[in-house]
Order: sequence, then structure tokens, then C-alpha cells
Amino acid sequence: MEIGLGAYLGLAMVLFGIGASGFLMRRNALIQLMSIEVMLNAVNIVFVAVNRFHPADHVGQIFSFFVIAIAAAEAAVGLALVIALFRIKKTVESDNADTLRH
Amino acid sequence: MNDWLFVAPLLILGLGSILMMLVDAFAKEKSELAILSSITMGVAGMISASALLSGAEAADAPEMVTRFLAVDPAALFFDVVICFGGALSALLAGGYLREHGLERGEFYVLLTLTTLGAVVLGRSTDMLSLFVGLETMSLGVYAMVAFRRGSSTAIEGAVKYFLLGSFAAAILLFGSALMYAATGSTSFTGIAAAMGDADPKLVLIGLLLIIAGFGFKVSAVPFHMWTPDAYEGAITPATAFMSVAVKSAAFAVFVRILFVTFGDELSMSLASGWPPVLAGLAALTMVYGNIAAVGQENVKRMLAYSSIAHAGYILVGIVAAFRVGSEAVSAVLFYLLAYTFSNILAFGSLILLGSRGREAVSFNDLRGVGRRHPMAALPFILGTLSLMGFPPTAGFLAKYYVFSAAVQAGGSMILLAILGMLTSAIGAFYYLRVTVFMFMRDPEPGQVKAIPMKSGYVVGALAISSLFVLGLGVMPGDVLEAASRAASLLLG
Amino acid sequence: MTTAGFVLFAISSVIAFFSAIATVGARVPLRAALFLMVHIISLAGLYLTLSAHMLAAVQLLVYAGAVVVLFVFVIMLIGPASETKPTMKNMGIRLVSLIGMILFTVTLAFALVSHAADWVAIETSFGTVEAVGHELYLNTLVPFEVVSATLTVAIVGAVAIARKATEFEVGEAKAARQATIDALEEARQEAA
Repeated sequence: MEIGLGAYLGLAMVLFGIGASGFLMRRNALIQLMSIEVMLNAVNIVFVAVNRFHPADHVGQIFSFFVIAIAAAEAAVGLALVIALFRIKKTVESDNADTLRH
Repeated sequence: MNDWLFVAPLLILGLGSILMMLVDAFAKEKSELAILSSITMGVAGMISASALLSGAEAADAPEMVTRFLAVDPAALFFDVVICFGGALSALLAGGYLREHGLERGEFYVLLTLTTLGAVVLGRSTDMLSLFVGLETMSLGVYAMVAFRRGSSTAIEGAVKYFLLGSFAAAILLFGSALMYAATGSTSFTGIAAAMGDADPKLVLIGLLLIIAGFGFKVSAVPFHMWTPDAYEGAITPATAFMSVAVKSAAFAVFVRILFVTFGDELSMSLASGWPPVLAGLAALTMVYGNIAAVGQENVKRMLAYSSIAHAGYILVGIVAAFRVGSEAVSAVLFYLLAYTFSNILAFGSLILLGSRGREAVSFNDLRGVGRRHPMAALPFILGTLSLMGFPPTAGFLAKYYVFSAAVQAGGSMILLAILGMLTSAIGAFYYLRVTVFMFMRDPEPGQVKAIPMKSGYVVGALAISSLFVLGLGVMPGDVLEAASRAASLLLG
Repeated sequence: MTTAGFVLFAISSVIAFFSAIATVGARVPLRAALFLMVHIISLAGLYLTLSAHMLAAVQLLVYAGAVVVLFVFVIMLIGPASETKPTMKNMGIRLVSLIGMILFTVTLAFALVSHAADWVAIETSFGTVEAVGHELYLNTLVPFEVVSATLTVAIVGAVAIARKATEFEVGEAKAARQATIDALEEARQEAA
């Protein structure tokens, strides 16, 4: 059986969908953060896979490096927010429909 | 030398923020940082403004730079909007933070670096610089929203904004990854060049994901849920900054990507492209933003919904540009500049009207304050008149240009223009309601009376913004010319 | 693609799929973090099948080594409160959005799987440290410099958000609270 670009793209889409579903379903801010990490990793698969089929330059791989760096920065700020939320509320639930009107 | 001029604003912002971190470590008096950061951003904006008005050409900017950052007049115009928004917010913060005992130097460093990210975002010509600029800007703004970290409103607004913002960024990123899969390129022009042989399925999905991501950043309905909470929770200078610089930067790159990358026949067609999607978003945003603003009791929330409504008017201008071209884009540029100064006026005088323990945030707090302190209430009235679109302010001309561009585009765009004018009339109601509370209502017995603070920084920022709001409204000539030159070069 | 490549792809993608589900579905955040690490390692395997050697190494060092450890660290810091009880709040909207997301994913996945491209021959230097470093430091220097601003923002922001209140801030907060009480008291006296 031959594995082509389509297989990688399909896999990336499925993983992105899993991450997005987790983000929408869960109300634990920590798990929502991890769901976002899963989504960003799915994006990386697309970049790396497409780069393999356009090998004249390394644009896709370079893009993945930047995504990794920024995901780390995002995790730092997100976890700082989770800690601040925990200090005030003693919980990491992100559902704040009670205190904030819409 | 000339080619350095075009990246000088970025260098100044970067070096300025490093300098500020050093000053913060050694200086006792934190409000020096307010003036330092304000000057840094002001100078960065001035350089771009002078390059823009003198009509200098970026003769030989190195390819290494131009591949990621635009150096055209449109880029300079957005620099001016973003940097001035940042500089004025820094002045507002200089008064606000000291008055309310929140004086911590981090705020100014965050503000300057966020402005740097916004400038990179506004100038980006490649998905990579777009993503990096977007995240630099967003991470700074999340931290600014959470700056009053002991307050549960601030932290919850920030958590909500952060989670939804990162989700939207991931969606935007997936969209650009699909564009890369379709075309093998990440630069805006490279994608456009390869669009002919690209898989239309991938392009369409990518386009939709990119629009959804940007819809979130400019807070278009239905991607607006974070806006009122984040605006309310953030300290007021940060709210002012979000509503002007962050929004302008997102619109800047949105316009560029729509007309440079998706400017081909197929993506621009009424049947299969982005204009109908954006027109729907614009209509929803105008209607929902204005109607939801009516029922608000908190002035900051009211201004949050008003900023959603204004995103709708700007979207009308962008949609109109698919037929009218550069004229509509120049209207959008002018609108962003006028909106920046009007909003700074509104938020700035909200800051000015409150002092420690007597902050003015709800309509009730403002009862009778106009009669007691007319000079402090005046900038608010000027700002809301401009946001309302009342002559002779800048806001009037901005709205006039955007809607007349929509009428020129004809067809269903005329309906959008009419809808825009009708919803603006609703806007007049809630803006004037503030004035009614300030001048015609007496404070309830036993209610805390708002007392204006004394701050040269805030008064300075308000004076500058008032000058611009009136100046742009009476003599828009030079700015309008620069905007239309920028727009016509952007559309190529 | 070689047979070895095919086997690696099959194993990595199956592990990636199940560990992603386990990450977003785990009840205990610590378990989710460990599954996230498994997920990340399996993606490094996928990168190897795509000749991205340098990236696979960075994925292990930076992602599994630093980001996941940061997660575990925060989970340990927060302790038992990091677990939240399952809630039925807004269940209707959440279920609708979940079903929408699944439909969206399945449709798009089918559309994407049919996207075909030929394997092209690559030079032996593709994806090596030398080639990637060359590209990174010569062609993408501008975004690379901007990322330094991103990281600075993240550090300053994290400090601004998560640091405990200093003595000066506690004093200021007290003064602000006192000012509010004074203002209320004054207003009450005026009314009386």
C-alpha cells in the first residue's frame, strides 16, 4: 500500500478535530490548554508533510520550528493565567458564566 | 540610509522596550516609564508618518526584510495608526496606574512589545511573520487584561480571552497550513501566484478558516463572545489599547491578505468567494453590536459593544472594496485613524472622570458629573459625537466615506449601507444616553459621587486626541491623500 | 516510501490518534499531560518518515522536554484542585458544537485524503541540521528576531500575571479599599 500526502493531511485533520473537540467539550482550563497543543501539533504535521513534497526549500519545516517556539510561549502565559485563576477561585474551571454576564 | 527608515519603527520599539526594562529595574519613579514608552511609540509613529507624507520610496530595502515585512505606504499608514494608539494609551496608563495604586513597570514594557507585535502583524506579507506578529501582540494583550491580578473579573476575562484567542490562532494557522498545502508557498504573493493550479477544495477551506480566525481578532459577530468580558475586566488604558491598536493591526493584515492573496477572480466572485461571507458578517456585526450596546449598564461594556459595531462598519468598507477598489480601502484606512482618536477620547475621559475609590464605570456613577465638572466631561462628548458620526468630527467623514463607497459598489451593497446608517441611529441613542446621565440626572442619595483625577498625562492625551478628531474632521486633505495613495499601491 | 517508512508511519499514526483522544478525554490532568507526551513522541516518529530529522529532535527536546514538563510542574503546584468534576453546564451547546466539529472533521478529512502528490526525490542534505540552520539564519532572520520579542513578552507577561503581590502592592490595595470605604461613608453622611 502506498502512503501519500493525502494520508498525512487526513491524519492531521483528524488530530486537529480531536483537539478542537476537546477544547469545546472540556471545562478544565489545563486540559483545554493541552487540547490547543494537540491542535498546533496537527498543524505542524501539515507543514512538515507538504514540505516533503516541495523539497526545493525548507519553508514548512522552518514554520514548524516557529510554531513550536510560540506554542511554548503560549503555554507559559496560559499556565500563568491558570495559576492566577487558581489563586482567586481555588479551581481551574474555565466556565465563568456565573460571574460574567453576556 | 533610506532603506533603514522603513524598519526604523520596529527597531525603535524593540530597543525602547529593552531600555524600559532596565529603567524599571533601577528607577523608583514608575511614571517616568509612561513618558518614556509614550515617546518611544510616538517617535516610531512619527518616523512612519514623515516617510508617508514625504512620499519616500522604499528604493532598495533588502529582500530579506521585504519577504516578511511590507515597506509600502499602506504599511506606513498602519504603523502610524498603531503607534499613535499605543502612545496615547501609554499616557492614559501613566495617569490611571498611579491613581489606582497599580503602578508596576511591567505594563509599559508589555505595551511597547505588544505594539511591536502589532506593527509586525500590520506589515506582514508572509504567513510566518503574520503568525509571529499575531502571537507577540496577543500574548502581550492577554497579560495586560490580567494585569489587575487580584480581581476575579480581570482574571476570568483574561482566561476566556486567552483560551478563545489561542483557539482562533490555531484555526487561523491551520488555514494557512492548508494554503501552503495547496500552493507550496507561505508568502502572500507566492500563494496568489500559485493559486491558478491550486486544488480549489483546499483553497476554499483555507480561506474560510482564515476568515474565521480574523473574525475573532477583529471581534466580528459570531466570534465576539470574548470582547465584553475582556474589555470590562481589563484596566481601562489596556481596554483603550485593545480597542484601537490591536483592532487596527488585525484589520491591516486582513485587508492585505484579502486583496493580495485572495484578490483573484474566483476568490473575489460573488458566487464562490469571500465577499458574500464578509457581507453577512458585517450585517450581523452591525445589528448585534448596536442592539446589545443599548441594554448595558456598564460604560466599558457599552463601549465594548460599540467597538463590535464599528468592526461591522469597517467590514462594510472592506466588502465594498471588491467592486470599488482603492477608494473603499482608503475609506477603511481613514476610518481606522479616526476611530483610534475617537476611542481614546471616550476611554480617556472615562479614566479622567474617576479617582481612587471613586472610579466611574457604570452609567449611575456618571450621574450629574457633567454639571459638577464640565471640563472633564467635554472630551467624552466630543469622542462619542465622533463615534456617532456627527459633523464636523473625524468620525463623520470616516462613516461618510465608508458608506458612500458601499453605495458606489451598488447592488446588495446599497442594502448594507442602509443597514449601516439605520444601526448608526441606534448608536446615537446609547451614546447620547451617557450625556443625559452626565448632565440631566442627579446622583441618588447616598451614592458615591465620581470626582475627576488630576493627571497631566491623561489631559495631554485627551488634548492631542481632540485636536486630531477636530482636525481630521475639518481638514482631512493630506491624510486622505496619503490614505488613497497607500490604498492604490496596496491593491496594485 | 520504503517498507520501514511505512511501518513507522503506521505505528506512529495509530499511537498519535489514540494518545490524542486520551489527552483530551482524560479526567485527571496529570494523565492528560503524560498522554500528551506520548502524542508528541509519536509525532516525532512521523517527522522521521518525512525526512525532517532536525525537527524530530527538536520536537523531543523542546516539546516533550520543556513544554510538557512545564505542564506537569503547574499541575503539581496546583495539586488536587487541578481536577474538576464533570459538569452538565451548557451541555446542549457543547454537544451541538461537538457534533458539528465531528461532522466538519470527517468531511474535511475525506476531502484531504484524496489529495494526491508524487513522492519527489530529495537531496541527502534535506532536513539536516546544516540545511535547516542555513535556511533559518539566512532567509528567515526577520521572523527569528521577532520571536525573541514574543518570548520576552511571554516572560514579562507571565511574571506580571502570576507573581504574588509585593508589599507595596498590598499596601496600595489596602489604601484603595480604604478610599472606597471613605467615599461610601461620605456619601452616606451627605444623604443623612
